[in-house]
Amino acid sequence: MEIKKLLFVTKFEELSFDSLRSLLNLRDGALEHVVFVNVIERDRVAMRRGTGYQKDEEIRLREAANIRFIDWAENLFEQGMEVGVYIVVGSLVPEVIKASQKEDADLIVIGRSHKGVLEHLYSGSDVIELLRRAWIPVLVYKHLSETAISVEEPFDRPLLAIDWSPSSLRAVEYIKALKGVVAEVNLVNVVSEKDLNGAAATALSKTRKEARNKLEKICEGFEAVGIKAKEHVYVGDPDEEIEKAAKDCQTTLIVLGSSAKSAWVEKWLGSTPQKVAEESIYPTLIVPPERDPPAETE
Amino acid sequence: MRKKALVVDDNPDVRLFSVAVLKKNGYTPLVAEDGESGLRMIKAEKPDLVILDVLMPRQSGVRLYRELKTTKSLKDIKVIVLGEIAKKAFLRSQKALTEFGDAEIPEPEIYLEKPVEPEELAEALKKIRG
Repeated sequence: MEIKKLLFVTKFEELSFDSLRSLLNLRDGALEHVVFVNVIERDRVAMRRGTGYQKDEEIRLREAANIRFIDWAENLFEQGMEVGVYIVVGSLVPEVIKASQKEDADLIVIGRSHKGVLEHLYSGSDVIELLRRAWIPVLVYKHLSETAISVEEPFDRPLLAIDWSPSSLRAVEYIKALKGVVAEVNLVNVVSEKDLNGAAATALSKTRKEARNKLEKICEGFEAVGIKAKEHVYVGDPDEEIEKAAKDCQTTLIVLGSSAKSAWVEKWLGSTPQKVAEESIYPTLIVPPERDPPAETE
Repeated sequence: MRKKALVVDDNPDVRLFSVAVLKKNGYTPLVAEDGESGLRMIKAEKPDLVILDVLMPRQSGVRLYRELKTTKSLKDIKVIVLGEIAKKAFLRSQKALTEFGDAEIPEPEIYLEKPVEPEELAEALKKIRG
């Protein structure tokens, strides 16, 4: 589960080279290859009445992206890294999935979606769609200007939110594999208030104690590979408590396993990973459960 | 017998352009659209010349060039690098890899920075033929 190759998906407005630079300490782990992906959305070059397909606009957009990537690539090549580029016309999520399959990437990095509430409701967010379809971890990067925090190295002090699902336990292994990159990890389990409805104070303490004990075991696993780890139990709404824990721990990144809810349920009721990825001020890494990639499409 | 030349470039327009110039200059052109398939074709076809892009999916021209020049059976294949990045950056990237412990390799025979005119490429082909 090392990160050897990452796919850096950008439309330039939300993710710049500065964001990528903050991830380059992953080289202290296994990172050696960065693949830039720019997807020119079809409707930007689609047929218009009287003008047909806008080939000139496509060429202009491709060239603009290419010039930007050349500059970034020179920088990385000169550091001894391997670099690849995809500039394609199409729909964002299928093209990113296709590129990650072709490249056999270990991580997808993407900026937060900028769609409005209504657009989200009717067409959904690209980021959420990507989280649903990706079989490799996705890092939803939050640009510094969008947040009040300054994250120099997102993988330095992650907060790992654990709900005991297979994907959150997989996230534990994923972070463990980043020894040399991660300095300290905070583990949090949020006990939902609805699970405690009507419970007596002693029952609450018992639940907290059980969760702590389980987290302590995971902490020991981190300490064994040389990563400092501390456990925390919070009570309340998971979406809110994870954000509070991130602030309390001065974290640089929130890590969660992806939701096991169906796409339909997620669309209407939401899920914690989805909400944290979209709404948190912190960069958010979502780790999916183990599954095979879809058959490669050309 | 016509010499074989392989164009390794992910841009179909550049492939078309290079193929046209190669044909006009007496070469039999072959094409590959990324570094990995380029290397496979080089091993299978043993071309006399490779026209190599730098920024490509799968494997970059930086690594493919290094692979060519460090593989005994391939190192004599002539290479024209037809890349987007500056020659200075290409050479620095090779130097960085050498510093990380890889073998030292020679500079490419000819380095052309995109975009090039057909005459420039034709001139480079002439030089390569000697």
